[in-house]
Amino acid sequence: MPDSCKGLSLRSFTTTKGQTLYISAILRVGAMVMYISTMTLAQQAEQDSSLRDEVEHLKAVVEGLQESSTEYQGIVEQLRKIKISGYMQTQFRWTDVNGTLSPFSGGNFPTNSNKVFQVRRGRIKINYDNVLTQFVLQFDAVPAGFSIKDAFLSITDPWMQSFGLQIGVFDRPFGYEISFSSNMREAPERSRMFQTLFPGERDLGAKLFFAPQLGDLTWLRADVGIFNGTGANANEFDSFKDVIGRVGAQFPFEDIGAEIDVGVSGYFGNVRNNTKYLWETGEVFPGVRGFVVDSALSNLGDGVARRYMGVDAQFYYDVPYIGGLALRAEYITGKQPGGSELIAATASSGRSQTTVSPASQPTGPLYLRKFAGWYVNLVQNIGNAHQVMAKYDVYDPNTEVGKGELFESSNLSAADLKYSTLGFGYAYHWDGNIKFILYYEIVKNETVTPVSGTSATLSPYFKDVRDNVLTFRIQYRFPF
Amino acid sequence: MNKLLLTAVVGVFVWTSIYAQEKITVKGSDTMVILAQRWAERYMSANKNVVIQVTGGGSGTGISALINGTTDICNSSRPMKPAERDKLKQRFGTRGIEIKCAQDGLSIYVHESNPVTELTLPQIKDIYTGKITNWKDVGGPNERIVLYSRENNSGTYVYFKDNVLNGDDFAATAQNMPGTASVVNAVAKDKNGIGYGGAAYGKGIRELKVRKDASSQAYAPTRETITSGVYPISRYLFMYIKNRPTGIMKEYIDWILGDEGQSVVNEVGYFPIR
Repeated sequence: MPDSCKGLSLRSFTTTKGQTLYISAILRVGAMVMYISTMTLAQQAEQDSSLRDEVEHLKAVVEGLQESSTEYQGIVEQLRKIKISGYMQTQFRWTDVNGTLSPFSGGNFPTNSNKVFQVRRGRIKINYDNVLTQFVLQFDAVPAGFSIKDAFLSITDPWMQSFGLQIGVFDRPFGYEISFSSNMREAPERSRMFQTLFPGERDLGAKLFFAPQLGDLTWLRADVGIFNGTGANANEFDSFKDVIGRVGAQFPFEDIGAEIDVGVSGYFGNVRNNTKYLWETGEVFPGVRGFVVDSALSNLGDGVARRYMGVDAQFYYDVPYIGGLALRAEYITGKQPGGSELIAATASSGRSQTTVSPASQPTGPLYLRKFAGWYVNLVQNIGNAHQVMAKYDVYDPNTEVGKGELFESSNLSAADLKYSTLGFGYAYHWDGNIKFILYYEIVKNETVTPVSGTSATLSPYFKDVRDNVLTFRIQYRFPF
Repeated sequence: MNKLLLTAVVGVFVWTSIYAQEKITVKGSDTMVILAQRWAERYMSANKNVVIQVTGGGSGTGISALINGTTDICNSSRPMKPAERDKLKQRFGTRGIEIKCAQDGLSIYVHESNPVTELTLPQIKDIYTGKITNWKDVGGPNERIVLYSRENNSGTYVYFKDNVLNGDDFAATAQNMPGTASVVNAVAKDKNGIGYGGAAYGKGIRELKVRKDASSQAYAPTRETITSGVYPISRYLFMYIKNRPTGIMKEYIDWILGDEGQSVVNEVGYFPIR
């Protein structure tokens, strides 16, 4: 070994005790650091792996949530198509005398009362609106009873989205006032002619409609349908089906903030005669008009014509600084077969007791009348919340018998009396839900010439019957 | 005593004249909500006595609010339907006033990495009705198409359904987002996503060119193509009010239709009507 090397070797390996301890300490620290580093790295790797697992897990959870969210969105979307709405009309009515017969002003009064509280309407409507198809069910639940008002389905064509079919129980497509919802209408009740000719407004049947929502023909709407003709109940009693239709058009005048809407309606139906007797207006005695009977055997089971023609018009004008003005008018004329409630099927003579369209087979003879009715309704909005209104409606159930010609000896009855009703009132919209209506109706009947021997049912009409009605109504509607 | 009373009355009158604030409520289209907010902010900053409250909720919600008297102005990204107008006439005796206040092109958004650059209207319809479910069928990658749509109270939803889907139902897999901004955000995060909405929201994602049909020219939703009507999915944005405007309402609407209001339309990314 060269000296130089020896020297080095000696310098390298010959150490003092202190130096040995020092080196040993450094080596121990180094080993510890290495150990700790190795441990830390191992721990880090473990943590990283754990973190990765956790991230993977969370990713799976998020994906799962996304899938659930998509599924729930689908469910929510379906649920959003279900629309539930409703309204309740509670009211207090006050008339002149106890026991007033007031069937067209909200109902008759009890024998010993001229003031009543009422729940006039309590409606719940469920509508599944799938845009081009609809399911509608509406109930009316009031203390007087429970009934189904609407139950129909509707399908609109997917190509033009203009033509459609509606089938079930729904408003008859005639005139304007039938489809003017009670919760929007200002007067508490519809006109006497509508309550007489279309009691309950609805009927069972099917209709086709043309109602474009987009494009150049949105001003036009046409409906035509075929119905049982017995109203909303299911008491169909004959094979005669009634055809009802309306064509309406809207003419806006945007420059002056006005619009005129017009419509023409027709009703072509029949009511089965359960007897061989058909009473029609003619000369009972020379120069005296009344009901005369046709007793041909062929009348039994035959259909007696129920024919209406109607025109309606609505004028809207935005009165500057005040609010919208609506002037609505309607006229209907035609032939109405009326039943006789008190006359037996075999009777050849007697008097009709009602001109209201029959909901079931009239058991007695039928009475065919020519009628006419009309109304004019003016509503002025004042700002957002206030409305003042006036309405005048006339219904003459028998236009062939004039004033002063109504005698029981001519087989005429109280059902042939002409009525006019002047109503006026005020409505206050508290908010989107609540509306208050105060409305007063002056009801005038045609008077009958006093003749001795007149029955108790007709003698009250020697003068105008005291049957004016004041109605105070509070309505709650939901949603807005 | 009388002098004191007179002074008090005059004082109250003067105070209310100076400090009374007039309030206008605006409700409706989510597509228009940013535009309406900008209008309101700009107008209120120059007219301290006016408070304009803007909320969204969708065109249908806005129209319902107008019919029920709970809003003064309804914003709508679609025209009012005849049935809705009938309700307005029944309740207020007026047909309402329709004001066209801006133009918009309905953009089709995809993720910026998506190689698809254009679609035809029939392809968009097939995608959204679920007939086409893979991007490869329209020239893209072999990936599932993820549909982003709007809620059914939105005017954009109704417009898209009526004018692009021709009334057909959306595929059940379409995810309904509460606003166009949400659609954009969702598509920006989803490389397989497709969405639709106002051009104003189109930042950060790519808007496709649209052809009316396979033989037509493809157009991007630009100011020129939208205002000229050649872009196949363009529309007006509307404001509806019940009555002819007077007072502060008239001033506000005149301002919107004037130079300053229409410049806001530009700033927000829609297109002025004049």
